[in-house]
Amino acid sequence: MEILHHLSYGFSVALQPMNLFFCFIGVFVGTLIGVLPGIGPPGAMALLLPVTYGISPVGAIIMLAGIYYGAMYGGSTTSILVNIPGEPASVVTCIDGHQMALQGRAGPALGISAFSSFIAGTLGLVGLMLISNPLAEIAVKFGPTEYFSLMCLGMTILVYLTQGSILRGLMMAGIGLFLSLIGQDIVTGKPRFHFGLIGLVDGVGLIPLVMGLYGVSDILLNLEKVAERTVAKVRTQGLLPTKEDWRKSAWPISRGTLLGFFLGILPGGGTILATFLSYGLEKKLSKHPEQFGKGAIEGVAGPEAANNAASSGAFIPLFSLGIPPNVIIALLLGALMIHGIQPGPLIFTDHPEIFWGTVASMYIGNVMLLVLNLPLIGMWVKILKIPYKTLFPLVLLFCLIGVYCASANVFDIYIMVIFGFLGYGLQKLSYEPAPLVMAFVLGPLLEKNLRQALIMSGGSMKVFASRPISAAALLVALFMVVSAAIPALQKRRKKVITEE
Amino acid sequence: MISVLGWRIGLGSFQEPGSGFVAFISGLSVSVLALIMIFSRIYSRVTQTTAAFSVRAFRRVPVAPLIITIGVLVGYGLFLDTLGYSVTTLFVMWALFYLFREKGKNRLFLSFLASLLATGITYMVFEVWLRSQLPRGIFPWW
Repeated sequence: MEILHHLSYGFSVALQPMNLFFCFIGVFVGTLIGVLPGIGPPGAMALLLPVTYGISPVGAIIMLAGIYYGAMYGGSTTSILVNIPGEPASVVTCIDGHQMALQGRAGPALGISAFSSFIAGTLGLVGLMLISNPLAEIAVKFGPTEYFSLMCLGMTILVYLTQGSILRGLMMAGIGLFLSLIGQDIVTGKPRFHFGLIGLVDGVGLIPLVMGLYGVSDILLNLEKVAERTVAKVRTQGLLPTKEDWRKSAWPISRGTLLGFFLGILPGGGTILATFLSYGLEKKLSKHPEQFGKGAIEGVAGPEAANNAASSGAFIPLFSLGIPPNVIIALLLGALMIHGIQPGPLIFTDHPEIFWGTVASMYIGNVMLLVLNLPLIGMWVKILKIPYKTLFPLVLLFCLIGVYCASANVFDIYIMVIFGFLGYGLQKLSYEPAPLVMAFVLGPLLEKNLRQALIMSGGSMKVFASRPISAAALLVALFMVVSAAIPALQKRRKKVITEE
Repeated sequence: MISVLGWRIGLGSFQEPGSGFVAFISGLSVSVLALIMIFSRIYSRVTQTTAAFSVRAFRRVPVAPLIITIGVLVGYGLFLDTLGYSVTTLFVMWALFYLFREKGKNRLFLSFLASLLATGITYMVFEVWLRSQLPRGIFPWW
């Protein structure tokens, strides 16, 4: 009953006209960037961060969260119609979704994708409501020691599950950590590592860093392969799946929802891993695995449910512990911190409107997305036809404006360009930027908790091993790093990531 | 280098860690990881494959468009405050639309029209609607 009371309070926040408007903008932009390859959810969120400065924190989070789960819906449209995933979590949908489109069944593929996203997204929210609060009650007892160790664990899992070498991932995290230290010392307030540049006295901004690493570098990468897309024909009338489609999809949706939700909570797990595992699971459980890859509707329903459930589950560690499980949620954490709100267990008592307002807005947003993605599919198909030669200069312009508007300082444009070029080089050499961004966002919290833990323990490192949760988290993190060096386990990890 | 920078601004002690404490640790970790990577490459059989991959990755780099794009973006930063949003955006977008045009087609005028439209629309959205403080430069009445 208490949950229903909180939820009704959340709806009273989310249904305020301005918050409804921000929710709509969020899911609309999310669908748009999901549909358009070139700029992913992190880039779009960074683009809209400056816009959120002038609005209430709850409005800002409602809008940014809308971009995240909206992109999960929109990403499937390009996967099905063009065979190009709008964002990484929709890669799997290409396999059977596009085959269905080629067989003239684009409508049911888009339909089941939207419905499974809606069902999983909504059920995921129920899980979010049920788990977050009890977890937060446990987390209240955590001290800086536990937080430091959990953040280390989160970083390690993210690095472990990112593509490529674990050493490279750890290096990226180390560099991200250093970049986060540029600016004022959190304890003494003294500026450090600014190399005499006034623009660096306040530190490297999150927005230019993310815009550079994701927005600009993506465009630079596309300079060498500007190819146009061919969009499969879609009848916008026949979008409703048949009874047979529903019968085939019911269990994949249920399994995808459960799998996605729990993988979403796991640091580093996120939406991408959830979709691949769901696809693998459905193929394994199917009586006709040979139909997978040739237009099996289960191959669309399961992964689409999984990525939306994962996007709901990912909010649990953010709200309960204040620890983001992936880069996109790390950006949400950054946005909350810009507004002076520290996510964590106390958010339920100090800022209940943030948690319950966001949860309620996500229910509303899921309904909006269903409307946006089914009756208005024709509009997204038209947008899909915008040629890259028009799209890419516009994306660059939005990056420039977004970065400038955030600080009114041209220095941030240079920072963005530097990170754009750096991101380009890193991606060419198969270095993942995600651990860098994650470490950059977590850096100040990591430093604060480490220094506090050491001061409180009188400089004894034993404190990290003597507290059970901290010791367990560090042991798991250590095991993951060491396991990457053991040949048998290394092969296993590579297999998981290759499947991914 | 990161470790040295951290050490120079003060490591403090375990009882009271200084400003450079975490930077020193992060620098040290990056250095150790880099050393492991270097040694594993030296002793690994895949050294040549990895080196070949790095060369292959940069073989297709379109150097001229890459430098021009970076140059245009840096130029935007250089001239934004002086020339103002409208003029700088117009020229930068003109350059970008022209750069990303279809190969073999000279679309100078079309690129100009597209940049004019993009500048006008973004000006309306960001300056008029969202009331962002875009720099006015040499045209203070805009």
